[in-house]
Amino acid sequence: MILVFAEVIENEIQDITYELVALAKKLDDDVTTVVVGNTEVKDIDGDVIQVEGVLEPWHYLIAEKLFNELKPDAMLFANAPFGMDIAPQLSAKLGVPLVTNVVGVKRENGGFTATSLVYGGRVLVDLAVEAPAIFVVNRGYYDAEEGKGQSNVKKVQMDVSDGVELLRVIKPEEVGVDISKADVVVSVGRGIGDQSNIELAEELAELLDGALAGSRPVIDQGWLPKTRQVGRSGKTVTGKLYLALGISGATEHVEGVKAKNVIAVNIDKDAPIFRVANVGVVADVLELLPVLIDKIKELKGIP
Amino acid sequence: MKICALIRVVPDLVEGIEIEETEIIPFRFIPNERDEHAVEEALIFKKKCNGTVDIIGIVDEETRDDEAIEEALAMAFAKGADKLKKIVLARKTSNRMEIAKAIVDELKGYDVIMVGIQSIDSFAGYLGGILAVLLGARYIGGVVSVDFRDGDVIVEKEFGGGVFGEFKVKTPAVLGIVSAENPISFVPLTKLRQAMRSMEVEEIEVDVPEIGGVEVARFYEPEKPEIVMLEGDVEEIADKLIEVFKALSIV
Repeated sequence: MILVFAEVIENEIQDITYELVALAKKLDDDVTTVVVGNTEVKDIDGDVIQVEGVLEPWHYLIAEKLFNELKPDAMLFANAPFGMDIAPQLSAKLGVPLVTNVVGVKRENGGFTATSLVYGGRVLVDLAVEAPAIFVVNRGYYDAEEGKGQSNVKKVQMDVSDGVELLRVIKPEEVGVDISKADVVVSVGRGIGDQSNIELAEELAELLDGALAGSRPVIDQGWLPKTRQVGRSGKTVTGKLYLALGISGATEHVEGVKAKNVIAVNIDKDAPIFRVANVGVVADVLELLPVLIDKIKELKGIP
Repeated sequence: MKICALIRVVPDLVEGIEIEETEIIPFRFIPNERDEHAVEEALIFKKKCNGTVDIIGIVDEETRDDEAIEEALAMAFAKGADKLKKIVLARKTSNRMEIAKAIVDELKGYDVIMVGIQSIDSFAGYLGGILAVLLGARYIGGVVSVDFRDGDVIVEKEFGGGVFGEFKVKTPAVLGIVSAENPISFVPLTKLRQAMRSMEVEEIEVDVPEIGGVEVARFYEPEKPEIVMLEGDVEEIADKLIEVFKALSIV
């Protein structure tokens, strides 16, 4: 039996939950999904145990109770804000092996073989894992549609408590364009070098009628607002073009890159961003950008 | 408030790594970026709560004297850390449960422990959440700021897309830091060298229990998908990029 722990944020079941169910169905016919939340559950395929309440980082206590009661061979969590909190605590409570950054799991020799993507997306590692085990799975490796279907929901109440309490949810003031809805996104990473060079990328974005975005190092520096972050902790871009300038392409970043076309410019020919791009350029973005901007201006007749 | 932050070193991917079937061989180590944010946030929080901060390097025999850990500790010292320690693991392991069990006794007595939410070599667990349970402490990860209000620790946790949750956390607590609330600050080289000369680092050697459950079968490089590489000098590449933009009806 496989237990899936749904990722629920602000009472909304996150899409990665369906991917986890799809993986669980490949591992076993007996799959149950645990949903902590007050949302209506109707399209998670198969058995669902719904625990009323709002998902919190300490709900490993709920997972622990269900794990001990149902004795699954594996429990699957999302590599997402709550899965990353709950899975390691559950692993320590139960003394069960924990595998993270997972991109594939198979049953083998009475246990599992799992594959993780690590070292910034540059290395895969195959792991022999004893059962029962806990897996924290990356987004984008299983088909969410295969996890959707008729739900058989059983609602339960559980009293668990800890010392962590949600006080409020802070939402950003959306200023300007929403990068997740933009058709063209020009995105900058560490390779942009300095805050003053952001202007160049902004100029290119304007010339291409696109939006300016960035990877985590740029956001951490405060060079762009958090609403402009692409990736696991940011937004997902789905438009016609994603132009990645000086972005290495760490796993967390490329999870948010779902544009139809990806052009990557990076000085490092081995940068993982080239694994998700369909057009690549090995160059220094700071040398390329001024030339490219001038040529587009010339083409558009802009002085 | 007694605070500590953990710092680990990881292979520098910019310098490159050699991928062997059973191990990753780095050319150079650097501090784990998320741990650098944990150290920064711990130093910011120290001022907010008028506490003390210990910075603890988690190293093994290979990295115990590496310049990456020495510089990271010196940088923290120059920025206001009170005490520096290195916990030296007697055996190198990627299994976070093994690491947590090895170091847990040295982390008792702190009110708040900050650690990077993950590192680039995290395939067998995340350290923060495991440590919290072993310490009987609370855990929350994805933390981007830590405040001290009316005697309570208040943190902001990233939910994604610019949305955050504000949580009150009872101590003792382990916080998985994703980024510090301010960009990482640096001290001038002269001050850093001065700190390296004057700092005292307590070294604690610990055994690492064998727990297993997750064993590496092989490391390897992901397949490279087909990609059109545009080549030439900058002028030629710019022309080729414009052709691609035209084909996509973008210009």
